[in-house]
Amino acid sequence: MHTTRKLVVMAAGLALTTLVAACAAGNAGKIGGGSAVKGQAIKGGTVTVAEVAGSPNDIFPLLPSTNSNGFNGDLTLGLWPWLAYSGDGGKSIVNPQESLFSKLTYSDNDKVITIALKPWNWSDGVPITSRDFTFVYNLLKWNYNDWFGYVQGLFPVDVSKVSTPNAHTVVIDLTRSYNPTFYTDNVLAEIPLLPQHAWDKTSASGKVSNYDETQAGAKAVWNFLQAQGSDMATFATNPLWKVVDGPWKLAQFLSSGYYAWVPNKNYSGPDKPVLSKVIWTPFTDDTAEMDTLRSGTSLDVASVPLNDIRQIPALKAEGYSVAQVPLPGVAEILPNFYAPVAGLLLRQLYIRQAMEYLINREQIVKKAFAGYADPGNGPVPVQYGQQWDSPLEKAGGPYKYNPAKAIALLKAHGWKVVPGGTDTCAKPGKAADECGTGITAGEPLTFTLLFATGTESYNEQNAAFQSTESLGGIHIALKGEPFNTLVSTTGTCNGQSHPAATCDDWQLEQYGYNEYLMDPSGAGQFNTDANGNYGGYSSPEMNKLIDATEYGSSNSAFFAYEDYAAEQLPLLWLPNESDVFVYKSNLAGVTPLNPFTGLYNPEVWYYTKPAS
Amino acid sequence: MTWFLIRRIGQSAAVVVGVMILTFILVHMEPGSTARAVLGLKATPARVAIFNNTYGLNRPLVVQFWLYCDHVLHGDFGISYSAGQPVSTLIAQRLPRDAVLIGISTVLALIIGIPMGLYQAIHHGTLRDDIVAGTWFTLYSAPDFMEALLLIAIFSVHFHWLQPSFPGGITSVGGLFADPSALVLPVVVLSINSVAGFSQYMRSSAIEELAQDYMRTARAKGLGERLILTRHLLRNAVLPIITILGLSLPNIVAGAVIAEAIFNFPGMGLLFWQSALSHDFPVMLGATLIIGVATVLGNLAADVAYGVLDPRIRHAV
Repeated sequence: MHTTRKLVVMAAGLALTTLVAACAAGNAGKIGGGSAVKGQAIKGGTVTVAEVAGSPNDIFPLLPSTNSNGFNGDLTLGLWPWLAYSGDGGKSIVNPQESLFSKLTYSDNDKVITIALKPWNWSDGVPITSRDFTFVYNLLKWNYNDWFGYVQGLFPVDVSKVSTPNAHTVVIDLTRSYNPTFYTDNVLAEIPLLPQHAWDKTSASGKVSNYDETQAGAKAVWNFLQAQGSDMATFATNPLWKVVDGPWKLAQFLSSGYYAWVPNKNYSGPDKPVLSKVIWTPFTDDTAEMDTLRSGTSLDVASVPLNDIRQIPALKAEGYSVAQVPLPGVAEILPNFYAPVAGLLLRQLYIRQAMEYLINREQIVKKAFAGYADPGNGPVPVQYGQQWDSPLEKAGGPYKYNPAKAIALLKAHGWKVVPGGTDTCAKPGKAADECGTGITAGEPLTFTLLFATGTESYNEQNAAFQSTESLGGIHIALKGEPFNTLVSTTGTCNGQSHPAATCDDWQLEQYGYNEYLMDPSGAGQFNTDANGNYGGYSSPEMNKLIDATEYGSSNSAFFAYEDYAAEQLPLLWLPNESDVFVYKSNLAGVTPLNPFTGLYNPEVWYYTKPAS
Repeated sequence: MTWFLIRRIGQSAAVVVGVMILTFILVHMEPGSTARAVLGLKATPARVAIFNNTYGLNRPLVVQFWLYCDHVLHGDFGISYSAGQPVSTLIAQRLPRDAVLIGISTVLALIIGIPMGLYQAIHHGTLRDDIVAGTWFTLYSAPDFMEALLLIAIFSVHFHWLQPSFPGGITSVGGLFADPSALVLPVVVLSINSVAGFSQYMRSSAIEELAQDYMRTARAKGLGERLILTRHLLRNAVLPIITILGLSLPNIVAGAVIAEAIFNFPGMGLLFWQSALSHDFPVMLGATLIIGVATVLGNLAADVAYGVLDPRIRHAV
């Protein structure tokens, strides 16, 4: 009885606390997830966010194939969110509350998707309907080659039919079965809905019609919207872009890349903005941004380059809090399996294994990235993946730093190992204890690592790589080039493109990381002749395992692929840096940052008054 | 003088055409795929093909040059690959701001440099001359970025007196003056090097003039020292500065890449630098052409001004 009374008192206390917290939040409207409230919520206020080394140049959410500007997503995602909302509390899962669908059903052996749309409205009060989905589908069906978001073989070419039984139901018939998680995470979470009732026109003065239903009409609408979308002078004034379904509307856009969002008062979703304005202000580079932060100006949210990580205590003293978010992607050293001499060496798994054993990833995380990095144990980052991390990756991956194992491997395959010098092949041949196919007697174990310059932490990482590889007698020469130059001269050195001249110019390459969508699938990266398979790795077993993750329905398929990729080393795994941010300490809701929606969700941010 | 002008303008036009041809060839000799450089890692063969077709990169070089000339003659210089905007728009957004900022810095440098040079000349060979020269040479030899960061650390970060950078919303010349405290540090940094240059040229020139016969005559006539300095010495000694000013016109147009990056001032320098990194040929060609024209015009203006100010040259022509 006594215990029961205690429980009742505790429950009452908890209920009271919840009620008070809810009332405080209620002052500012309904507030979604994010960091804990430290004071009373304030309705309104302006937040200024720094945008470094780039700014948007196109507002139409389906970018043309010639536009690779990643800053456009920052501008458009708050205005036209994706059908399936990527990321929930920073996790790589769909956020059902923020998504435009109320129910997503896969049937007929995962070949048919039935989407039930929520009864939400566009900002002009018109309901969002299944016609808006067919509008997007029709535009893409006739223009997918000119859409930057198109991934070969996927939406819309994998769709055999789209039907709309009613205004809020879409049925998609696919040409083959897909893994529902893959399709939702990596396809439906990349498609916005667009307002057919406002955008289905071919000129600014023309009337809206069903132009998208014919090929010629869809192309004309596409061309019109693309032309309007690239006219930066009219981003904030063009009537087209005033019809949105996201939480924000564009209030101002300047040619410098400075722009401002204000709340969409007719937003139907759950997280209605509390702030009255969000300003995105451009900076030429991170030095200018850091100087502005340190000078105590009105910058509220900003990224902190890893080079300036030691400034964090000073920034805390200026009234900022710190947040970090692991980036969804895989960082690597890319081997060119088609390089004339080095390619023969790199095709030997034992050489790649020895090289990976000689990478001291733990030290790189500590020294080069000041602790702000994923350890890079395999193809999936362990700091963000959660449900995607296999036990092998969680345990540190198959190749923890171990120079002795590297040396043993090389000796076992006929190499004369000279720690600190350069190993040479002592036993040429194809047998298990010999150097391997095409490797001649006396051949040195030496490579040139081409890397993207401009990032101090990469410079340190690559110097560390060079240093620890030499412990096993593997000589690495470093050669830095600007990122664009590096990308332009590298090409995709796969079976299709070989022997293209560009493939012969490099041996190892490090440029940063390959970005993942929510499902960190190897599709497009490690399967033979995939566009992102820059080094030309090819393995029938890998292809089979990747197909199982993309088209199969087995839950264990992903771990099977992941462990195989971790062990086979299509890339040499490296730590992947995190993004580090500071935000004003009286700004709540900023964390956890969502790496799948451009990191920021200001609709859940709000200022707080210190509790009195 | 008219014939001189016609001849110089003709030469200038030939130089500009030469610059166009040479830069076009050099830019297209850059190794690697332009489409890949612009589209990045997601450049599929299909996208590369569309990109090349959109921008005419799959056409013969001669045809590409013809298209470029067509764009130049129409005044838009083509479309930037990375910004997706006409190059003329990008230049028009930046050039006036650069011209005003660097123009202010140049005027400030003249205001300080000329009297400083005269002062040194009058006191040449003394400790005062050495101290002033030493100070300016020290500042002259210090890198721009170091001076900028040092000044920001002191006046912005430590004392919070001045803005360390321009607000990101500046899109016009007028916007430069919206927050004058943001203007101070870039103007000071950009002036420092010019002051050293102007003052040292002025010093040498004035020392030379001080030794001339007409200076002795002026003094012998009983003219006051102030009159001698302003009417005789200054007017004659300032001539080399005219040449330097003319030659500095391209600097005004070309921008100042380091100062622009540090002070968050996206001008011509950064535009050119970023276009070079990203293989944005239309921007590179447009910017180079503008700088080429400014160089030619600067030289022409210096020649004409020299002729106007120095009758000996005018009559010799």
